[in-house]
Amino acid sequence: MAAVIVSGIAAGAVYGLFALGLVLVYKTTRVLNFAQAEIGAFSTFVAYALIVNAGLPWGLGALLALGAAAAVGVGFERAVIRPLVGAPRLTLVVATIGLGLLLGGLEVKLWGIDPKLLPTPFHGSGLHVADVYLSPPRLLALGITAAAGLLSVWFFRRTTFGLALLAAAHDVVGVRLTGIRLRHLSAFTWGVSSVLGGMAGIVISLSLGAFAPFFLNRIMLLGFAAAVVGGMTSLPGALLGGIVIGVTEALVSHFWISVPGLVEAVMFGTIVVFLLVRPIGLLGRAE
Amino acid sequence: MTALLEVRGLATGFGANRVLNGLDLDAEEGRATLLLGLNGAGKSVALKTISGLQPAWSGSIRLSGRELVGLEAEDRIRGGMGHVLQSKAVFGQLTVAENLRLGGATVRDRRQVAENMERVYTIYPRLRERASQQAGSLSGGEQAMLAVARALMAGPRLLLVDEPSAGLSPIMVEALGHTLGEIRKTGTTLLMVEQNVGFGLELADDVYVLEKGRVVYRGAAGELDLARVSALLGIGELLGPPKPTPAPRPARTTKRAAGTTKAAGATKAPGASRARGTTRTTKADGNGTAPNGRGRKEADG
Amino acid sequence: MVLFFAAAAALAPVLSRVAPGTFTPYLMLMLCFGLTYALAALPLNLLMGYAGQISLGHAAFLGLGAFATGIITGRDGLPFLLGLAVSALVGGLSALVIGLPALRLRGLYLALVTLGFGLAMFSLVFRLRTVTGGYAGVGVPRPEAGTFVFSRNADLLALIVVIFGLVWALDRNVVRSKVGRAFLALRQDEEVAAGFGIDVARYKLYAFVLYGALSAVAGAVLGTVIGFAQQESFTFDVSLLFVAIVLLGGARSRAGVAVAAFFFGFLPRYFSFLHGWELVAAPALVLYSLVRHPGGLGQSLELLRSARFGRAVGRGRQGAPVADGPGLGGGGAGGDGAAGDSGDEDTVATVTRLALPRPVGVDGAAASGGGTLEVRDIVVRFGGLAAVDGVSLAVDPGRITGLIGPNGAGKSTLFNTVSGFVRPERGTILLGGHDVSSLPPHRRAALGLGRTFQQIGLVKDLTVVDNLVLAQHRLADYGTPSALGHLPRAARREREMTARARETLVALDLERLGIHRLDQLSHGQQRIVELAAALLTAPGVLLLDEPSAGMSPAAAEALAERLLQVRDELGQTILLIEHHLPLVMATCTTVHVMDAGRLLASGPPAEVQSDPAVVTAYLGGVRV
Repeated sequence: MAAVIVSGIAAGAVYGLFALGLVLVYKTTRVLNFAQAEIGAFSTFVAYALIVNAGLPWGLGALLALGAAAAVGVGFERAVIRPLVGAPRLTLVVATIGLGLLLGGLEVKLWGIDPKLLPTPFHGSGLHVADVYLSPPRLLALGITAAAGLLSVWFFRRTTFGLALLAAAHDVVGVRLTGIRLRHLSAFTWGVSSVLGGMAGIVISLSLGAFAPFFLNRIMLLGFAAAVVGGMTSLPGALLGGIVIGVTEALVSHFWISVPGLVEAVMFGTIVVFLLVRPIGLLGRAE
Repeated sequence: MTALLEVRGLATGFGANRVLNGLDLDAEEGRATLLLGLNGAGKSVALKTISGLQPAWSGSIRLSGRELVGLEAEDRIRGGMGHVLQSKAVFGQLTVAENLRLGGATVRDRRQVAENMERVYTIYPRLRERASQQAGSLSGGEQAMLAVARALMAGPRLLLVDEPSAGLSPIMVEALGHTLGEIRKTGTTLLMVEQNVGFGLELADDVYVLEKGRVVYRGAAGELDLARVSALLGIGELLGPPKPTPAPRPARTTKRAAGTTKAAGATKAPGASRARGTTRTTKADGNGTAPNGRGRKEADG
Repeated sequence: MVLFFAAAAALAPVLSRVAPGTFTPYLMLMLCFGLTYALAALPLNLLMGYAGQISLGHAAFLGLGAFATGIITGRDGLPFLLGLAVSALVGGLSALVIGLPALRLRGLYLALVTLGFGLAMFSLVFRLRTVTGGYAGVGVPRPEAGTFVFSRNADLLALIVVIFGLVWALDRNVVRSKVGRAFLALRQDEEVAAGFGIDVARYKLYAFVLYGALSAVAGAVLGTVIGFAQQESFTFDVSLLFVAIVLLGGARSRAGVAVAAFFFGFLPRYFSFLHGWELVAAPALVLYSLVRHPGGLGQSLELLRSARFGRAVGRGRQGAPVADGPGLGGGGAGGDGAAGDSGDEDTVATVTRLALPRPVGVDGAAASGGGTLEVRDIVVRFGGLAAVDGVSLAVDPGRITGLIGPNGAGKSTLFNTVSGFVRPERGTILLGGHDVSSLPPHRRAALGLGRTFQQIGLVKDLTVVDNLVLAQHRLADYGTPSALGHLPRAARREREMTARARETLVALDLERLGIHRLDQLSHGQQRIVELAAALLTAPGVLLLDEPSAGMSPAAAEALAERLLQVRDELGQTILLIEHHLPLVMATCTTVHVMDAGRLLASGPPAEVQSDPAVVTAYLGGVRV
């Protein structure tokens, strides 16, 4: 039982990472970013191309892949989101769907639909915690998520830029009137959110063992479920929601392993129940 | 006198709705300029167009001679302008100190930030006491102070203030008026919009009255043609029973000359029905009481 | 249109028999695919273009239909039509169940919930061996009619053309009816929609259920064309593809979306030379068209058509305003340059007799006027601050009652409390003697509370006539089946309402503007259309929220005369919030003055304006 929960927490950390990116964009722009999964998948493909095809060292390849993710996010903000300022939110959400399809199409064209394998950078044997085995990718996931969580807390409370982002979520005009250039903020948000998606993609591909175009669609559902559980606008909520979702997934697959797809159904149910009973999630704030 | 802000022929609007129609005004260095006018006359929109929140369709806005039209609001703020909105909104989920920090975000010199912070805390001691409190939990009056304080953090040369008194209790209005006076004394130029005429006039040096997005009256606060101003604002009737005198429907003229009291009654009282071309009003008595039925003066019409 | 579809349906089998060399079975099958895609895209277009919601579970709804039909016709050997009916039922019910929680909330939560629904259906339900035959799927046999089997592709195509034609007609009927107008209204602004008496939550759900049912029918047809229903046909990317199709087609354009979808169904199987680049090109095109060409294919089709018929279709995003019209509207806010000045001149002169047509479906006595409104001891608090603090007032029938006060006095809050958008902490609101305190806004509207908004409360991208028809929503007393079928009752009602809208425009001397989109009118013109729209519902009590805002003084003066006319000729009861005091003084019998959430004074204008307390409230510590 403890083993199930610990591995659920480890898996949930990645969902939290994914949800963190979703919440960051939603919090500051009120856009549900349905491209997040494909941004993650795309970065994983770039990492694969750099590490396996071009033979770069693992760390450098992964770093450049995250750079590519940031470029995609910033580019999307510049080319699509900014010209659509003032457009209905429906249009913006649909634009993210378009971006997801575009990236997915590129992956299929450039790398094909066959599953690929991203080599693991670890040669260690992982860790045993209270008779629970944590594989290196799991440890990496935990480490990255913890770091991302701490970093975002520092960023949002200690830096002017972070404070401005928080403020802009509720009062864009107010931030403009402080003279802080909002266009940088918006691009920054999309960039950071995309990097978080890229991290989640690479880490998940390690623990899954293989990846292919659109392989994160299922994770996107879990990520959104985590965001909804956390309250859609709360960053700590996203991380907490990720862990709740991870543990739920672990428990469901532990007890009903013979019913594939039950996890998705449970996640669907979770989203519905939270929207119905507690739309502000566990840590969200009523507006 | 040098005009810090020069607005010439400014026009803007929303879709087919034209709000500013060739607005001309000056804000003189170190003085407080007040914009009066009926609802919908374009006062708030004028401030928003000056600060860049509303795009100008045509015309020119110069701050110390530098053209601002075409610049983003962010860059105008960086160029030495502050703007306090009518909502006096603060960043509710941040603390008072964090609000002020964002206000000074564009000031590079850290010592300068600390100095500005000290200046703001001196004007508003209450904010120092509440520095680590969430801004959203402050009272309405304290939030208004914070909104002004935040705009001051960047050390603006020109501060635009939209309806400082709106939504505040009388005591708070008085306190805010006092601090705005202090701010002007330290050399910051003020450009204000105010519905509360009495409050506005107490602070102002120069007064403009807007109608349909144009200036229809301009004068120094001390030598105001009260009859005309109150007629333009449609509040003449409030100050005494109307005395119906048939008057011909006057032509619309735009009066921008620096002339003040002698203005002939050629400008139509907006919306005041034709029968009310003549308006009674009261003379300044300075003691702040309701001026009903004292010192009447007939407007020349 | 019916003839067109009938001819096409007849043509397909004939052509394939006459010229089998050109019209090969393969081509016929591909045409089947193309048309089925178009059929599948129409419901999503209805949901996105009209109701303004997204479904990311489109594939799941298609799958529901395909599997349901497969089970009924393939496994149980029952008729195809029953399969279609059950598909529609299953699709509609699923939509009802998932729409209930998602649509209660504002925003695009439906996208999230349908994402979950799509993935859950795909990975759980569609691969349950007992239900859907697991990975192998369920065979969907060709339909039979008596002894005739639609085994030839051309015959199947004919059948699909017929189904497509029916769905097309249904879609068109919905869009043309009060239902479609309600969708458009709530897409733009839910408060405005509620103000017209539209039950926002119900109509959103309604749109989604219709979407679910029609999508499942399309799924049933898709399963038939493929020959079997299988999990792998209904992946998440299929849902995304259809969203992209609707965008490329230009949401809201039935023809544009159908054409785009047709090519997506038809081309990939035929033109393999694209080598999969369409996967990249299509979404790139979607993004491009979102940013640069928001009208999509539908707009291009429209332009093409208007060019052919030589008629100008004003469809610019922010078209130039129509040249100054007479009526009250010309006042001031005209087109470019100095139009504002010339507008003032003709405003005062043109107030003529007010010949508003009588409302449809309401008998004379109840039609107008005579309404009463009373609020008792209303208290509204926002976070501890009392915005309205124990206000009681009554609005006299057949009179204009004014509500004035400085900014922030609580007038608008009181107003919103009366119309139902703000819940009071305590207090009672009596409309025509009924306690409406606990009713939602649209129910109050239905009971005879009309209102206008500070920002024009009409739908910007509908024509003036359509807006005036929309305003009569609560008088459109035909049922849903009638709307879907465009049955005589609905058709007659619609004709009457349109006629009434036109008569109204004639009465206001605005008939030239009828065919123009609302946002092409000047502000003043929009204002007067809004007032007319409010009067068309024959409200017992009409709330006017700063009607003179943004008007020139001359236009405001003309408005005063209009209001007096409305009062005298229609006996209309009006509660008026207004900053512009001359308008209040000229029209109101009683004036209430609010300050800091409380009533400061009430009485005839002459008394109120000399009340020292009122003067102080307005002028502060005056030293004027």
